[in-house]
Amino acid sequence: MPLSGLKGKRALVTGAASGIGHAVFSRLKSEGVETFGTDIHAIHDVIVADLTDSDDVEKLAGKVGAIDFLVNVAGGPVAPSRSDTLPELKKNPLQLEDIDEAQWAGVIAANLTTAFLVCREFAPRMKARRFGRIVNFTSIAARRGSSRVGVHYAAAKGGIIGLTKTLALELGPHNVTVNAIAPGFIKTERIAQASWGHDSAEAERAFIQSLPLRRAGKPDDIAGVVAMLCSDAGGYVSGATIDVNGGWYFGP
Amino acid sequence: MNRVAIVTGGAKPDSIGFAVVKGLRREGCEVVVADLYEPGFAALQDCLCVKTDVADPNAVQQLIDSTIKKFSRIDILVNAVGGSWGITPQDLTAAPPRGFRGLTNCEISDWRTILGANLDSAFYCARAAAPHLKKQGGAIVNVASVAARKGIPPGSEGSSGPYAVAKGGIMAMTRQLALELGEFGVRVNCVAPGVVASGRFNKVSQISKQDHGPEGPLASIPMGRVGTVAECAALIVALCTDDTSYMTGVTVDLNGASYAA
Repeated sequence: MPLSGLKGKRALVTGAASGIGHAVFSRLKSEGVETFGTDIHAIHDVIVADLTDSDDVEKLAGKVGAIDFLVNVAGGPVAPSRSDTLPELKKNPLQLEDIDEAQWAGVIAANLTTAFLVCREFAPRMKARRFGRIVNFTSIAARRGSSRVGVHYAAAKGGIIGLTKTLALELGPHNVTVNAIAPGFIKTERIAQASWGHDSAEAERAFIQSLPLRRAGKPDDIAGVVAMLCSDAGGYVSGATIDVNGGWYFGP
Repeated sequence: MNRVAIVTGGAKPDSIGFAVVKGLRREGCEVVVADLYEPGFAALQDCLCVKTDVADPNAVQQLIDSTIKKFSRIDILVNAVGGSWGITPQDLTAAPPRGFRGLTNCEISDWRTILGANLDSAFYCARAAAPHLKKQGGAIVNVASVAARKGIPPGSEGSSGPYAVAKGGIMAMTRQLALELGEFGVRVNCVAPGVVASGRFNKVSQISKQDHGPEGPLASIPMGRVGTVAECAALIVALCTDDTSYMTGVTVDLNGASYAA
């Protein structure tokens, strides 16, 4: 059975060029949702925008118009720029003293400021139409902490949880739900290429075997949860952070 | 081969469990309904209905045996039985008791009854179904409550202190079962509804004072409304399907933004 409440709706997915964002984009399209994708990286038919720039966000809104679902996937532990739009992920764990102020500011901007600016742009139209579903992306790095991705990324993703809870309170009276998804180890192409997160294939196997579900996540595993939250199943869910991590870590 | 689902507490027509039964039927599942409420069975003729007191481990074993005899497998278990009243053969259709039953003023018998129907029942069902779920993998979905998150404010009618504790136990049981069953491809998740407009809620609304019943908390729900049985059931069904294939041990709160874990 297709999920009810999706067909015929309109959606914007940020970070749609690759990985989880692209999987979400494809899934919503396959459910009959008129789906727009945006990314700083020009590929597929994404609308190119630098979402850390409020002018770009405003122009994006002009192209997309009113939407029912906003899925803020854009972000990552390495900040992209207009000249390096899909940066390689670092292979080694990032420690406190490895992170300079520019990296800190870049990662906070790429993960937290983007979500703020995009929500600020699109939420008023959702309020006016008295319907909306916003799905933000946090991370297991914010839930349990991380020994890999760096404090900037974990802090930005922690910020997403606060943003999500606060917007849920603010937009609830307007029939707009706001939730966050906290993925665990999702083996996207980019992560696989960097063998990022693990020092060796052996270490990765041992880690996978320590997960209750005994496998890495796939982008489609996340896309299903986004679809669920946008569908009628998500109608009364708001303010929630949903862990999708194969049992790696149990949130509250 | 159709998937086979057991839903406890699925027979009362205005309950979350009943809506879950209908949702799983639409997904193509064979559904076994375990409930004490026999008058509800007539509306469930496309299901195997088994009169079951899920607080009795022997009755639960018979439920599992009947399911295997008829369908030879179990893929899904939804533990939807629950409540602070209307949960025993004696008070099945009774009106909710008046007054607040907290931990410090309830009867010991209240504690036993409420823990039995809300917590023991899910344990018995999961334990008895586990050997069958493990054969091919599957999903368990438990039903907790926002009561486990926030507690029941003194003065509230219709719910109880023991209920809040039992539902907290359900969340812990969800995590424990996720660890024990994950390697067999059995996912275990939970929903924690806020106020949902079930038949139970309607009965409480009829007796409660404005400030102390569900109408009181309504003012504190940012979405400005109670939840519907349909949206709660849709979420439970989604936790049974591949849409949530990488979720396990998770409690999903649905409460109109009245509490954010």
